[in-house]
Amino acid sequence: MGVAFLAIAGVLIANRFGVDGLEPWIIPSIVFALGLALVWSPLDRVTLDDARRPKLSGLFERDAWARFLLGLAMSIGVLWWFAMWDFTEDPVQRAVAVPLVVLGAVVLILAPWWLRLIRQVGVERQERVREFERAEIAAHLHDSVLQTLTLIRAKANDADAVTRLARAQERDLRAYLYQDRRTEEESVVTALALAVNAVEDAQGIVVDVVSVGDAPTDERLWAAVKAAREATSNAARHGIGPVSVYAELTAHTYQIFVRDSGPGFNPAEVPSDRLGIKQSIIGRVERQGGAASVQSAPGERTEVSISVPREVQQ
Amino acid sequence: MSDTGQQTTDATARVTVVIVDDHDVIRVGVRESLEKDIEVVGEARDVESAIDAVLDAKPQVVILDVHLPGGTGGGALDVLAEILTGPGSPRVLALSVSDSAEDVVATVRAGARGYVTKSISGPDLSDAVRRVASGDAVFSPRLAGFVLDAFGAAGGEVAAKDEDLDKLTAREQEVMRLIARGYTYREVGAKLFISIKTVETHVGKVLHKLQLSNRNELAHWAAQRRIV
Repeated sequence: MGVAFLAIAGVLIANRFGVDGLEPWIIPSIVFALGLALVWSPLDRVTLDDARRPKLSGLFERDAWARFLLGLAMSIGVLWWFAMWDFTEDPVQRAVAVPLVVLGAVVLILAPWWLRLIRQVGVERQERVREFERAEIAAHLHDSVLQTLTLIRAKANDADAVTRLARAQERDLRAYLYQDRRTEEESVVTALALAVNAVEDAQGIVVDVVSVGDAPTDERLWAAVKAAREATSNAARHGIGPVSVYAELTAHTYQIFVRDSGPGFNPAEVPSDRLGIKQSIIGRVERQGGAASVQSAPGERTEVSISVPREVQQ
Repeated sequence: MSDTGQQTTDATARVTVVIVDDHDVIRVGVRESLEKDIEVVGEARDVESAIDAVLDAKPQVVILDVHLPGGTGGGALDVLAEILTGPGSPRVLALSVSDSAEDVVATVRAGARGYVTKSISGPDLSDAVRRVASGDAVFSPRLAGFVLDAFGAAGGEVAAKDEDLDKLTAREQEVMRLIARGYTYREVGAKLFISIKTVETHVGKVLHKLQLSNRNELAHWAAQRRIV
């Protein structure tokens, strides 16, 4: 600032004593530049703190107002002088040039303020959005996690219930945090996950689901998902956890493998009046032109393979 | 909890590990679930203390949480950049609570040799640590599924040559599929009539591809996590 005032003093002195050989517009230009610097100078302080979060309230402390007004006065003075200046005899040229130059000068003076204002509005909007999101998250956590924790505390003596509650809440929270939420109809991955989750909740076991590929759930895929649900439910009832479910969707087929961790059984010895495997798994996918089979033996893991062909949609 | 320790301790020497996780409960849980032949030589809870602990204790394996406070905000990536400095560096097993493998791919590409979720059982975690210590890769079913997805296996893309980094060979796909179905390496070998060693070789090659491939899908995930 000191330098600027010295310069102003220099200009004033030069003006008073008159300097020969200078173009007449040089000194007004310098004065205008200084005026600009003065008008802009309060903005420096704001950007110094943090360019992204200007403090407009802190703008006009101490001498900032004075500098701003002085700069404004200098600029306007120069423009006034320019409007009076006979730089050409042609009145048309003057009539065009003067408004243009004055307009340009005004834009120059106000541009940084204008930009700052726009940025400030942007920052404020961002903050509002963030605030809104935070409120949303808080509301969600309150309705889900906190409620579940209360339930868990109430049922602390019932280990099964606690496990089930914790698992269901974990899944809910994961879905909220990590997944874009697609419906069962839009996504066979979601359909399978929900079907398996239902079994998890009903039977209180842990099932790992891995899916590769995705598509809208058509009739055949639904059949496969329902068969997989039945197979998972069987694994939960007769086998031990953890149960793995792997689904792979290619252009031609949809395959699901459901595998438990033992203890296995002899498929040939299943009484023929037990309809679970035959009807709900094999029959269901065969009606859709698919196939299902059960590999198991006593002491081994049991794996149910389900496969349906896809109608290729173009 | 770790009664099976004696049976699984074979000729291999003790394995030293450093556990890095910002949650005390998880660190304690991991330490207690490790079997007896695995010795915890250090623990850390953020990026800076992790780097110090690893450089100080020189463990064979670092069990590293993907999300860590401190450093430049890159979590496990910051730690990996400091501790994987060449031959003799410890091997890293990434530990994540997240279900999405995308979350972990950046860590694997930055040099981790495996990824397990925090719900893993004690014996399985111990197995994974030993496997990583001996230089092998550890693929959970979820990571295997992710690899199949990312390398376009479901779309029928098959590498013609072994050297093709952007696709999996037919054999590698078979191995990945079985791992995704929940098969252990031993079971994969039995099913495909190959030795465990061969299974490990295939998995190692897939890890190599996962780390070096320039496939768009992988590059995209890497870019999202701000690594190249």
